[in-house]
Amino acid sequence: MIFTIFKKELKDTLRDRRTIIAMIVVPILVFPLIIGLSTTVTKHFAEQQKEEVLKIALISDKTDNQFSQTLASIPDTLGPKELIFREDTLGLRKDINNDSIQLAFFIPTSFDDEQAENKQSTVLIFHKGVNVGNKARVQTYLSEIKNTFLTQRFERLNLDTQLIEPIAEQYIDFSSEKEVIGKLAGGVLPYLFIIFGFIGCMYPAIDLFTGEKERKTLETLLTTPVPRWKILIGKMLVIVLSGIAAASFSLLGLFLGLRVFNLVDNPAIMTVIDGILTPTFILSLFVLLLPLTIFFAGIMIPATIYAKSFKEAQSVLTPVNFVVILPTFIGFLPNIELDYTTAFIPIVNIVLATKEIVAGTIDPILMIISFMTMVAVAALSVLFSYKRFGKESNIIS
Amino acid sequence: MIQVENIRKEFELTKKQQKENNTTDKFALAVEDVSFECQPGRIFSLLGPNGAGKTTTLRMLAGILKPSQGSIKINGIDIQKQPNEAKKVIGFLTGSTGLYERLTANEIIAYFAKLYGVSDADFEQRKEHLYTLLGMHDFQDQRIGRLSTGMKQKVSIARTMIHDPDVVVFDEPTSGLDVITAENIIKLISDCKTQGKTVIFSSHIMSEVDLLCDDLAIIHKGTIIHRSSMQDFRDHMQTKNLTEEFIRIINENN
Repeated sequence: MIFTIFKKELKDTLRDRRTIIAMIVVPILVFPLIIGLSTTVTKHFAEQQKEEVLKIALISDKTDNQFSQTLASIPDTLGPKELIFREDTLGLRKDINNDSIQLAFFIPTSFDDEQAENKQSTVLIFHKGVNVGNKARVQTYLSEIKNTFLTQRFERLNLDTQLIEPIAEQYIDFSSEKEVIGKLAGGVLPYLFIIFGFIGCMYPAIDLFTGEKERKTLETLLTTPVPRWKILIGKMLVIVLSGIAAASFSLLGLFLGLRVFNLVDNPAIMTVIDGILTPTFILSLFVLLLPLTIFFAGIMIPATIYAKSFKEAQSVLTPVNFVVILPTFIGFLPNIELDYTTAFIPIVNIVLATKEIVAGTIDPILMIISFMTMVAVAALSVLFSYKRFGKESNIIS
Repeated sequence: MIQVENIRKEFELTKKQQKENNTTDKFALAVEDVSFECQPGRIFSLLGPNGAGKTTTLRMLAGILKPSQGSIKINGIDIQKQPNEAKKVIGFLTGSTGLYERLTANEIIAYFAKLYGVSDADFEQRKEHLYTLLGMHDFQDQRIGRLSTGMKQKVSIARTMIHDPDVVVFDEPTSGLDVITAENIIKLISDCKTQGKTVIFSSHIMSEVDLLCDDLAIIHKGTIIHRSSMQDFRDHMQTKNLTEEFIRIINENN
């Protein structure tokens, strides 16, 4: 009988446009779109920035000073530039503000003498701080100029450059690339599938409980010789399946975006993704997803059965959504790890366990504790749903 | 057969409802000390003004609500002790019955047949009989959302009767329906009687009661204030017609 109810509810749910959008279309498209769009826009602006000719004013009473000459000798591969010589700062603010020049160096008259005497010179740089790209370019130029003067100074003094670098550090990292990326980016995965798992559960839950109440079909269903718990489980299975499907489609969308459409041009990330997509990883993820979506269904059903309209159900579930999403941010914090305390905290344990799975450092005992904790809270939520579903004031509109 | 003995139903009030009703009572009494019997092959009508307790009583008969006190037996089965056994022999139809808008008529009928445990052979036979009777063949594969009110009501009737119930409960079945659709319901109720089924229906349309009814009870403010056969009711009328007599009895008990 549970299967008969499940089959009918699934058919009904799959014919609901809202559910299909929330369960399949949005999860599968959102990440390729976000990644594709952000990568294209970033690339476009980076290239535009690289090719843009920077108009630089050099303010000095001597046009042949060493600073200007060194700057002029920097190759265009570090960014094309046009140098304009000026004798004073008159109208400089206006020119920078209207972008007729992008930045200006004020080189003191004493610059060449100070350098010859191995002294420090102060160069003023006028710019607009909001143009982040220009600031990055000027820092590249200055780094080149400083190196040139430093090398010349050391040669003049007949000194070894090691004098200013007493320690040469060499890091030997024992973490695998998978571990590093897993720990850094592994928090993204649970964030995705928890949010989409929740949204995937939400619409069928509202439709199968509040919707049935509104359409007065629940009353008819309750006149049939089917125990209420079977009706509840049949409906709940559809909600769980929908949540798992939405979470899976969101991950599929992410992998499609990264792997098939090559939206991220980073070989290290690609290697890690290839390494992640193993049967063990997928199985582990489903092991965690199952109690999680049951838990979602278990907390949504009492809310949707209580609500008298679709709108009311949405407003009841919105704060729940925030409560669920909040622990997912823990995945982005670097120093919180899965241990014998966090493994007992629902949702937080799923987030941290996924991070460990991605990094390949999951402790099987902690994984079992996390799973069992989620199973326990999922069971409690189902029990709570059953109690609320049995309440007459909830089922009769 | 339906046997109702001293049933009482009270609903728990939320704090919001207490405030709205300006009361400190934790419970609201909907039905009290209601008893009656409906015999097979006879139509029993439960009459009463809005809010009298008709729907609550019928929902208890259909097993949707549980009585706070008293007992209900359907064909000798106690609905509180064996709800699913009792529900197998009941068909329940209301004027506001909802159907699954995204499913077709065929899918809905098949779904309810399965829920009632109708065998495949019986299902095909009963479906064919009902579809012919109600003229449903033309729209059997159309989704409910695309059907007219009349067509929907026919699907509801087929859904109610697909398991060939011995007891049929109609809660204001013609409420809000057009004359032609209402006529289908009247015919169905009449057919149920001919087939020897136990029929109970609630209504406040006296012409329907006059046409169909063998026995009646009038419920007001949750209690039965009159119970008799239709013949006795007609014989002892103190006014010109059924509607006036109904109003007189209600007013007498206000």
